[in-house]
Amino acid sequence: MRYYVRKLGFYLVALWAALTLNFFIPRMMPGNPVDALLGKLQQRGGQVGPEVRESFEALLGSDSGEPLWNQYFTYLGNLARGDLGIATSAFPAKVSDVIGQSLPWTVGLVGIATLLSFALGVVLGAVVGWKRGSWLDHLVPATTVLSAVPYFWLALIFVLIFSSQLGWFPLNHGYDVALSTGWNWEFISSVIEHGTLPALTIVVSSVGGWLLGMRNMMVSTISEDYILTAQAKGLRNRRIMSRYAARNAVLPSVAGFAISLGFVVSGSIITEQVFSYPGIGSRLLSAVQNSDYALMQGIFLVITVAVLGANLVIDLLYGAIDPRTRVEN
Amino acid sequence: MTNLSPLPGGADESAPPVGGTTDPIATAPRRGRNGLRALLPSWSPKLGIGLFLVLGIALFGIVGPPFFPNPNAIDPIGMTEPSGEYLLGTTQTGQDVLAQLAHSTRGSLQIGLLVGVLATLLSALFGIVGGYLGGAIDEGFSLFTNVMLVIPGLPLVIVVAGFVPAEDRGWWTVALVLAVTGWAAAARVLRAQTLSLRNRDYVAAARVAGEKRWRIVSVEILPNLLPLLASQFVFAVIAAILAEAGLSFLGLGASNSHTLGTMLYFAQNGFALQYEAWWWFVPPGLLIALFGCGLALINFSIDEIINPKLRITRQVKAVGDVAEAAVAGHEAVTESSPDERRDDLVLTVRGLNVVYRSERPVHAVKDVSLTLRRGEILGLAGESGCGKTTLAYAINRLHRPPAEVTEGSVTFHDRSGQDIDLLALENEELRAFRWSKLSMVFQGAMNSLNPVITIHEQLDDVLTTHEPGMSKEERRARCAEVLTLVGVDPQRLDSFAHELSGGMRQRVMIAMAMLLNPQVMIMDEPTTALDVVVQRGILREIIRLRDELGFAVIFITHDLPLLLELTDRIAVMRAGEIVEYAPAEEIYASPRHEYTRRLLESFPSLTGDRGSFIRTGESASRTEPPAASANERAQP
Repeated sequence: MRYYVRKLGFYLVALWAALTLNFFIPRMMPGNPVDALLGKLQQRGGQVGPEVRESFEALLGSDSGEPLWNQYFTYLGNLARGDLGIATSAFPAKVSDVIGQSLPWTVGLVGIATLLSFALGVVLGAVVGWKRGSWLDHLVPATTVLSAVPYFWLALIFVLIFSSQLGWFPLNHGYDVALSTGWNWEFISSVIEHGTLPALTIVVSSVGGWLLGMRNMMVSTISEDYILTAQAKGLRNRRIMSRYAARNAVLPSVAGFAISLGFVVSGSIITEQVFSYPGIGSRLLSAVQNSDYALMQGIFLVITVAVLGANLVIDLLYGAIDPRTRVEN
Repeated sequence: MTNLSPLPGGADESAPPVGGTTDPIATAPRRGRNGLRALLPSWSPKLGIGLFLVLGIALFGIVGPPFFPNPNAIDPIGMTEPSGEYLLGTTQTGQDVLAQLAHSTRGSLQIGLLVGVLATLLSALFGIVGGYLGGAIDEGFSLFTNVMLVIPGLPLVIVVAGFVPAEDRGWWTVALVLAVTGWAAAARVLRAQTLSLRNRDYVAAARVAGEKRWRIVSVEILPNLLPLLASQFVFAVIAAILAEAGLSFLGLGASNSHTLGTMLYFAQNGFALQYEAWWWFVPPGLLIALFGCGLALINFSIDEIINPKLRITRQVKAVGDVAEAAVAGHEAVTESSPDERRDDLVLTVRGLNVVYRSERPVHAVKDVSLTLRRGEILGLAGESGCGKTTLAYAINRLHRPPAEVTEGSVTFHDRSGQDIDLLALENEELRAFRWSKLSMVFQGAMNSLNPVITIHEQLDDVLTTHEPGMSKEERRARCAEVLTLVGVDPQRLDSFAHELSGGMRQRVMIAMAMLLNPQVMIMDEPTTALDVVVQRGILREIIRLRDELGFAVIFITHDLPLLLELTDRIAVMRAGEIVEYAPAEEIYASPRHEYTRRLLESFPSLTGDRGSFIRTGESASRTEPPAASANERAQP
């Protein structure tokens, strides 16, 4: 119980830190983003009433001389109501709506690809570690080459080979734009067709890390006494490998999975850019290019909260698979 | 080998002399000045290729640029394929790709190196200092580190870059931002390692001796962290180069500077992909990949210093397989010594030899012959490192490479009257034989139980494998039954190992060993790690169970007086050889061998004078530090 309370407490602190960071970044930077935003808004024919200005000022800071402390609480209050401001680059849409549209794409693509890559890496790593000293060891350096390759460059190469040359996959976008969105097979199959290559890129470039980590832990675990006991017990090799060696060796990988999520998300943002995938990463970049500060901040917040949430889930899961964490304080 | 290691898996005697230490730090030299050589990675093809790649690319970036024309010079003929004039072709605007590559490599290396240094310094500050000082500072540092770790870095960098106008984004700004967002993972690892080092004897000794804090950190702790720091630095450089490339590719990198990332950015925006101008976008990415790969290969070698288990022990191949030959020669061992009745025996070991085939072969067991009668308790005594555990493992063929049985035979005389040649059993036969006829209780039950599954699952495992016919209820009942036999409450079945005391874990191991009613049980120092009262209780239990169930026991220990009470016969082992083999009373009354006498004298007696502790410097078989054997005894 104490374990869960501690974990929950930690993520609350982390969330608060992220929110605060988000509050201070625009205020520490040179220039006045509010004026720039409002100017853009007016260009697009938006009416700038005082309440719009106030909302942006709460988000991005102002020179109005209002104490920072008050600004901070207004900002937190707005966030609590889900008010992230208006996305100037998609006027008059609200930031929360823009994010709502693109988030499912990223969660679907990055989520599935990451889980696949983790599962594949752990299983392969377990086998390679178990059969240590065999030809399988040569797989290890090969996978490090893959993990040293920049995500987006690999994506470019894949596009060149599989889309331009071989024509197996579509060049970009998340679905065939000629189709209307909906829950019909035609649309879904188009989504799958478009998502395969980006997903493949993510899997290929991240599987090596999992494989190596799992393999090294496996090698360490094999020299543990309980493995010897299991062998002396006359258990079948397959069982020793899965229930005794891999079951213990996977623990650091699961813990590492939580930590690396941030990196995976980072890598996928760029991958999305290469494929013009309609996810949150492309959105973030277009926001940066259009100086849509409100959208930028909103997306950063959402990504952070999502990563924190996923971390929390994994930590709770970890408590379930490692009984020792439940008693230690 | 310190027994105070907080990591699971204490060193066991059977471990081969090379790379046998289970504690990653223990093998690192205690002090940097004593063994700087050991801190350097040993030569391997991986390291060679890694160094070649890294040095080659670094050289290209450092020395290369002046040799090439101005990378910004524009030529009217754009998008030309590689030719004699332009070795790697030109860009859309007719710039020389090769010249750009050289300048960009320099730019990327610059940023990578700077970020590597900064991130390593930050992680050292938060990890090592926090870990060493402990208390509130550590709590604070550690919380901060973890928060930084879970906040996704690149989105943060993108947002920051988005607020900073392009003209203000110098390459050092980018480096600073990357360092600030990239140090946390390393700090966490460093902190964990510092915590473990902090509790080591020699650090404690330095503290007691009144050494100053900064001195302890820099002289006692830092040298041991060097390999780890090196590995972290290498990682930080790879990560920085990759992150910078990503950022530049998105158009958010340093302005007015050439890096491999900006090259890719211009290639992407110059439609290199659409024109299939591979010469433009393949080389920069490939260079990053090769550089990263080279660093990763170097890291492999560093990792092997940090964790010796990862090293692959090279086995010196024997000329012909002696074991096979020996086995073939002993297909039917039916003859038995005239003085022992044949049907009385359960195990016969003849002329067994075990060699660790490392670069310096160690002959751990020399010509050992033993017999075990049904229901007998046979003691095997000797100091640590004398080969007794190796012998026990070889009997059940649990020895691992590089250990190898070179000669001899082990025959099991089954209750059914059948003789089983253990060294000739095939994989599946051997598996089925283990535990059902011969089970083992290992040294240090602390680590013999799987920490993450329940006691019940581990007992149940044996039954599902060996007795597939049993129903779930029957299996559970049997598990409860054996626990009751050794005096453990069957309600403990659903406990995990960490929820049991040391004595209880050892009892559970003994219960597990009895599950299948084996005819022989090998017990390797089953009570050494327990306190005397618990030890007594367990020994009484063993004798009672032997009387009830009639299994034979090979009891291995360094504690000769204990064997005198417990066993029927005793074999005294020294440097791999059995020097004396006689009934217990005889050993006690009239020890024939000089070594046996010294062993006996070394223990304090209740009536006579205090014995002199002989297990000091004269370790016979292996050159082991005297502390190791003394330690074993000193830890109840």
